[in-house]
Amino acid sequence: MSELKRTQLYDVHVAAGATMVDFGGWEMPIKYPTDIVAEHLYTRHACSIFDVSHMGRILVEGPEMVPFLQHVLSSNVMALDLNQAQYAIIPNEAGGAVDDAYLYRFEEDRYLLVVNAANTDKDLAHLNEQIKGYDAKMTVITGDWAAIAVQGPKAKEVLQVLSGGEAVTEPMKNALNTLQFEGRTVRVAKTGYTGEPIGYEVYIETAEAAWLWNRLIELGAKPAGLGARDTCRLEACLPLYGHEMGLDPEGKEIPIFAVPLAKFAVSFSEQKGAFIGREPLEKQYEVFKRVMNRDFSDLADLPRRIMPITLLDKGVMRAGMPVYKGDKLIGYVTSGTMVPYYRHEGEGLQTVILEETAKRSIGLAIVDSDTLEDDEVQIDVRGRRLKAVIPPYHMRVDAPPFARPILYRPDEETAAAASGDRTPKVLELIGRATQNHVWRQEKCVNLIPSEMSPSRAVRLLCASDPSFRYAEHKKVKSFYDADVFYYQGTEFIDEVEQLLVEEMKAFMGCAEVETRCVSGQMSNTCVFSALMDWKNRLNRKQDPKRLGYIMNNHIIKGGHLSAQPMGALHDYIAVDPVTERHALVNFPVLKDNIYKIDVEETKKAIDQYRPEFIIFGKSMVLHKEPVAAIRKYVDEMGLQTTIMYDMAHVLGLIGDHFQKPFQEGAEIVTGSTHKTFFGPQRGIVGVNYKKGDLKYGLWETIESRAFPGSVSNHHLGTQLGLLMAAYEMNHFKDAYQKAVVHNAKSFAKSLKAAGLDVAGDPANDYTETHQVIVSVGYGTGPEVAMRLERNNIICNYQATPEEEGFTASGALRMGVNEMTRFGFGPKEFDQLAQIMADCILRGREVKEDIEALRAGYTEMRYCFTEDQVAAALNELARKSGI
Amino acid sequence: MNFPAELKYTKDHEWLKAIDDTTALVGITDFAQSELGDLVFINLPQEGDEVTAEESFCDVESVKAVSDVMSPVTGVVAEVHAELEDEPQMLNEDPYGAWIAKIKDISAYGELMTAEEYEAFVQK
Repeated sequence: MSELKRTQLYDVHVAAGATMVDFGGWEMPIKYPTDIVAEHLYTRHACSIFDVSHMGRILVEGPEMVPFLQHVLSSNVMALDLNQAQYAIIPNEAGGAVDDAYLYRFEEDRYLLVVNAANTDKDLAHLNEQIKGYDAKMTVITGDWAAIAVQGPKAKEVLQVLSGGEAVTEPMKNALNTLQFEGRTVRVAKTGYTGEPIGYEVYIETAEAAWLWNRLIELGAKPAGLGARDTCRLEACLPLYGHEMGLDPEGKEIPIFAVPLAKFAVSFSEQKGAFIGREPLEKQYEVFKRVMNRDFSDLADLPRRIMPITLLDKGVMRAGMPVYKGDKLIGYVTSGTMVPYYRHEGEGLQTVILEETAKRSIGLAIVDSDTLEDDEVQIDVRGRRLKAVIPPYHMRVDAPPFARPILYRPDEETAAAASGDRTPKVLELIGRATQNHVWRQEKCVNLIPSEMSPSRAVRLLCASDPSFRYAEHKKVKSFYDADVFYYQGTEFIDEVEQLLVEEMKAFMGCAEVETRCVSGQMSNTCVFSALMDWKNRLNRKQDPKRLGYIMNNHIIKGGHLSAQPMGALHDYIAVDPVTERHALVNFPVLKDNIYKIDVEETKKAIDQYRPEFIIFGKSMVLHKEPVAAIRKYVDEMGLQTTIMYDMAHVLGLIGDHFQKPFQEGAEIVTGSTHKTFFGPQRGIVGVNYKKGDLKYGLWETIESRAFPGSVSNHHLGTQLGLLMAAYEMNHFKDAYQKAVVHNAKSFAKSLKAAGLDVAGDPANDYTETHQVIVSVGYGTGPEVAMRLERNNIICNYQATPEEEGFTASGALRMGVNEMTRFGFGPKEFDQLAQIMADCILRGREVKEDIEALRAGYTEMRYCFTEDQVAAALNELARKSGI
Repeated sequence: MNFPAELKYTKDHEWLKAIDDTTALVGITDFAQSELGDLVFINLPQEGDEVTAEESFCDVESVKAVSDVMSPVTGVVAEVHAELEDEPQMLNEDPYGAWIAKIKDISAYGELMTAEEYEAFVQK
C-alpha cells in the first residue's frame, strides 16, 4: 500500500491528540479527544473547525473553460456569477456519478472545482480524458492552499473578528468573497458539509494554514474530525459518495436523480449541449417527475431513490442493512448511525434550545421509488426487524442561526369545535377585543412603521353602510368612457370614488389614479399583470411572455416583499434561459451604506441587463430613492424601460419633505394607504400617462386588471374611509410630513446618544423617512422585540442586509409615524429612546414608564377636530348604530 | 488508562468481578471504551439468557461501528444494568462502575488475565 498523504495541518492534529485514520489515502483526524458526539454538538451549538485540505482542488482556466465544464458537470456553469459557488455532479455516460463536486468562481477568468479526496485521482483521469479538444487546462492546487471549514451558529462572529468587522461574505448560501484576515489573503465560501445555516469554508495559503487554525481556536472554535463531519452531513441528509452515490449495496450504479440534490445540481439548459450523461439523465428526470406526481407505472430508469429514514425501535441502523415494507425488500440503508441533538422546548419563535442532549437513530436509505413520506418500514438490524419510518427530513435550516433537528412525529388531529350554545364565546370574544383595543390604542407605544391608526372619522365611515355593498364598474368606450355600474344603489359610492381619485391625483401629483385595489400588494399585482398583458397585446395567439429583465431592491437589502418573485412578481417574471434563474437584477448598494442605492453601479447594471422594468421602493427605507438620476440615464440610453416606485411605506410622505416621485420621473407609483398615509388598509396606483401617450394603453390595462382582474368587490366601506383620510392628508400634510421626518431624525439621534447602534447615514441624521433601524446584535432581534412587546413597545425585528433571515435578525425596525400622529415630538421621542435603551441594554422592565408616557398622548392629531365635525360624527354614529 | 487490580480481564477487553464462586459482574475495560469512542447504544442481554464463555452475549455501538461484547464465563444472566440502555455513555465515563450484566451459575471460565497481564497485553 502506498504511503498515506498528509494535509498542511497534520502536525497540528497529532499535537491535539487526534485519532488519525486512513481516509481515501489521506491520514486524517477522525476525532479529537473530545470525541464525535461532543464535536457534533459543538458544531450545532457554537462553532467547529474541520480540516478539509484533503479535498481535491482543481483550477480550471483557458478560453474554453466554460464549454469544458458544461460538458463534464451536471450543472449550468453559465448560471454561476462571479463570487458564487454551485453544487454539481460529475456524471458518467450511464447517468451515474463519477463524483460530486462544488464549483467556485472566485475570479472572472478561472473556476475552482473541489472534489472528494478519495476520488481525486479517478476524477482527474476522467477529466483529463475529457479536456482533450478543449482549449482549457486544469491545475491541481490541493497542496498550495489549505481549506478549513468553519461551521456553526458562531462561525460568522468568529470570522468577523479576523476580518476586522467586515462582512465575510454576502449572507446567502454559496456566496464567495476574497478578503484579508489580519493581513493574510483568504478566500471564503458560504458553503459546507454540515448542513449548518451559518457555515463557511476558508481557503488560505499553505504557509498560513496552521496560523489560521490556531487563531480560530483562540477565538472559541473547536476542532472536529471526520466522524462529526459525517454525523452532521447525515443529519442534514447530504449525500456522501460511496454511500448515496456510486454503487448501491447490491452493486448497482445509483442513478443521479436518486439523490434529492440532483434537482438542483442537474441542468438541461440548451447552454449545456450534449453533456456527458445527458440522455440517461433526461430519462431519469422523466421518471422523477412521474414519481413526484405519484405515477409509479414505469420506474425502470429510476427504480430506487435516496430518502431519509428514522428508526422508531431502539437500535442503530448501519449502511447495508436491508429495508422492508411488509415482506417486500424495498432497499437498503446507505448511511446510518446514532446522532446527538440538543433538546428544545416551547413553540414557534418561543422555542428554546436546552442544554440537555439526547440521541436519535437516523439514516439515509435507497428504497423503491414508490416509497412515500410517512411510510412505515422495517430495517433488518442484524437479524431483528426493527420498526422505522420515512420522515420528510431530519433537520431544517430555515430558522437560522441554528440548524434545528426535526424529530419524527405523526400528524396530530386537531379537535373539531364542539357544538352547543355560543353565547359564552361571544361574550368572551367581545371582552377580549375591547381589551386589545384599549391596550393597543391607549397603553402601547406603536412603532411599527407599516401601521397607522386612523381617525375617528375614518373609522366611522369605514363601518358605515357601503361597507357591505358591491359597486362593480367599468369604463365603456361606447359611452365615451363613462363608468357603467352593474348594480343599483351605488350613486353615492360612485361619487365617493370620483372624489377620491381627484384627491389622490392632487396628493400624488399624477394624471390618473386607480383606487379599487384593497392592498398595496394587490396594487403591485395589478400593475405587474397589466405590464405583462400590455407587453403581449399585439400577439394573443401564443402563450404570453413574462417580464424581464426586472431591476428591484433585493429583499435582504430592504426590498419590499411584494416586489419580489416570491411576492407579487411571482407569476409575471420570466426565467432567463441562460442562467435558468429569474430575469431579475438587483440595485447595487453603496459599500459604506447598504441602505442606499449605488447610482454609478446601477448605471452599469442597466447597460448590461437593459431592464424593461425598474421598481424602486423598499420596506426598510431610510433614504430617498435616486429616481431622477436613473430616469435621466434611462432616457439618455433611449431605453423603453418602465419606471415604477413602490411607495408602500412612504406614500404619506410624498411632498416637499421627502420625494415627489412623478416630478422625478417615475411613471407608476403604487402604495399602501395605511402606513405613513392616514387611511384604512387599502392600496393605490397612480400613473403619469396622459391621453395620447403610447403608454396610456398601459393605464387602461391597469384599470381593467383592477376590475375585473383583481376585485369584484372593492371594499366600499374602506374606500369611503379613504376619502376622509385623503381630505385629512391634503389638509394637514405639510405639518404632518415635516413632523414625521423631524421626529425620525430626532429619535435616531436620541437612540444613538442613549448607546444604541443606529443604522443609516449619520450625514442624513440616519434617516430621511419615518423609519429608524437599530442593530441589537446578531440573532437577538426576535428576543429583544418580544421583550419590548412585554413592555408595551410594539415594533418589529428585522434582518439587516448582512443577516440570513428573520430568526437570525439582529435589528429592530421602527417608525415614528403613528406616535407622531398621537402628538409625540422630539421631547417624547427622546424620553422613549431613554426608556428603550434601559430595556434593551440593561434589561429593565419599563411597562409602567411606557404607560405613563403614552397616557398623555391618546388624542389623534392631523385630523378634523372642530365641534361641527365632531357633532356630525356623533350624528353618524347614532344613526348608524355604531 | 486504569487497570483495577481486583478484576480479571479477557483478551477481548471485558472485565470480570467475582462476587462469589458462581456469581460475577461483567463489563468492558477502560481500554475498550477508549478505543470504541463515544458509545451511543447498547443491546443488552435479557435476564435468564444462557451465556457461553468467549461467545458474544451483548453488543455496544459507537457512532462509527458496532462491537460484540464476549462473555468471560459460561452461566446465566441474573441481572442486567438497564440504566445503560438510556445512558450508554456511562460505559465511557465509568467503565469499571458501569457493569453490563451479573452472571450466576457460572460453570466455566474463558481465558482470563490479571490486571498486570492485561496492562502488558494492551501495551503490546
